[in-house]
Amino acid sequence: MLAVLVRKDLLIEFRSREILISMITFGAAITLLYAFSFRPSPESMQTFAPGLMWMVFLFVSVLALHRSHSLEKEFDAFSMILSAPVERSVLFISKYLSGFIFLVVAQMVLLPLFFLFLQLPLPANLAQMVAVFLLVDLGISAAGSLLSGIVMRVRVNEMLLPLMLFPMVTPLLISAVKSTASIMDNQPFNQWKLWFQLIVSFVIVFSLIGYLIYDYVSEE
Amino acid sequence: MESFHSRQSSKVTAGILAVFWVVVLYLVLNVTRIDPDQQMAQKIFYYHVPSAWVAGLGYLVVMFAGVLYLIMKDEKWDHLGLAAAELGTLFCALVLITGPIWAKPIWGAPWSWEPRLTTVLIMFLIYIGYFMVRNFGDEGERTRRISAVLGIAAFLNVPIIYVSVKFWAADAQLHPQPAMSQQSPDVFWTFMLSLLVFTLLFVHLLRFRVHILKLRSKVLGMRYDV
Repeated sequence: MLAVLVRKDLLIEFRSREILISMITFGAAITLLYAFSFRPSPESMQTFAPGLMWMVFLFVSVLALHRSHSLEKEFDAFSMILSAPVERSVLFISKYLSGFIFLVVAQMVLLPLFFLFLQLPLPANLAQMVAVFLLVDLGISAAGSLLSGIVMRVRVNEMLLPLMLFPMVTPLLISAVKSTASIMDNQPFNQWKLWFQLIVSFVIVFSLIGYLIYDYVSEE
Repeated sequence: MESFHSRQSSKVTAGILAVFWVVVLYLVLNVTRIDPDQQMAQKIFYYHVPSAWVAGLGYLVVMFAGVLYLIMKDEKWDHLGLAAAELGTLFCALVLITGPIWAKPIWGAPWSWEPRLTTVLIMFLIYIGYFMVRNFGDEGERTRRISAVLGIAAFLNVPIIYVSVKFWAADAQLHPQPAMSQQSPDVFWTFMLSLLVFTLLFVHLLRFRVHILKLRSKVLGMRYDV
């Protein structure tokens, strides 16, 4: 059932291409703005790059997360899904996974652009970088899918999602920026282990909260 | 339904609060010793710390009320949760106001990215979102349900926020580390009394607010009946 639900989300996206295209264009536009407004020396850029990078991805993720639930409002699709014999927590995981996939795909395009436009040196330890990125994406998607399910229920929800999401993911964002900075700085894992642990705890806490209480969010 | 202020228990609590509020003020200004380094600025501590405690208590109540609401679906738990969220945010605002008043003369700058202060600010922002959800949602059961979920998620996030902010700004650890047991008795007991008065004030306001919310939902219920 989970596979069917995720496949549905991906298929809709494959046919309409509205989420990924807007994510990538928006992300590229912010990256360009950064490049223009900072026009920095390469050293100072390296100091700011991790923070700027994660801000781009956080902004971009809002588009996917908001769409993942607002899509279901059209033609009242959500009630139909709810009337199908699907467990609500499975529904949460499907939203969680499709959000994660969109975020990863968008990053695969945006990250090279970011390094190219801001003329950053590639980090030596790519495996660590990939691991951190995947985990943080899981965290953003977990908290975001839960909040997106919540704000879908109220008016002016496109405005509310970032308002709720940004303060909620501050710990994740701080840890992501710190880990990314350490990796780009070639520091040994021991020195930034704490940030990695914080990311993991955030992912676990919000995946569990979502899994356990999405039932109450989705109920009609 | 009798009015809140005409109840015996409300009168007693309000009386105790009125008397002890003045007592605390007197003790703070005239009895407790003056800190040699911080002078009068230190006095705000008797109001700043209890405000922070009540804010935390408020948000804790929001979480428990949320859990109970989701289990029992009884509207009274939603009233409790909303009232506690409002008071928690009010006292959060007091913390955010009294903190900089104290910090300006002592640290030389009104704001520092100190973990406790930052955590309070983030919680404040999260709960602003909570109220927006409540305001933009309808009056129905669904809004109450999602607010309960939000209250739970927000509170479980506090420890993660605190740890992350603490290690993010490790150089900003300027906040006085509380060591109440080492304080002289006048400071200790005045502080404890202030804590008690603030807690009682919280309980009193909470009951008042819950009462009003109950009336409100009764009136709304009548409107739909007609």
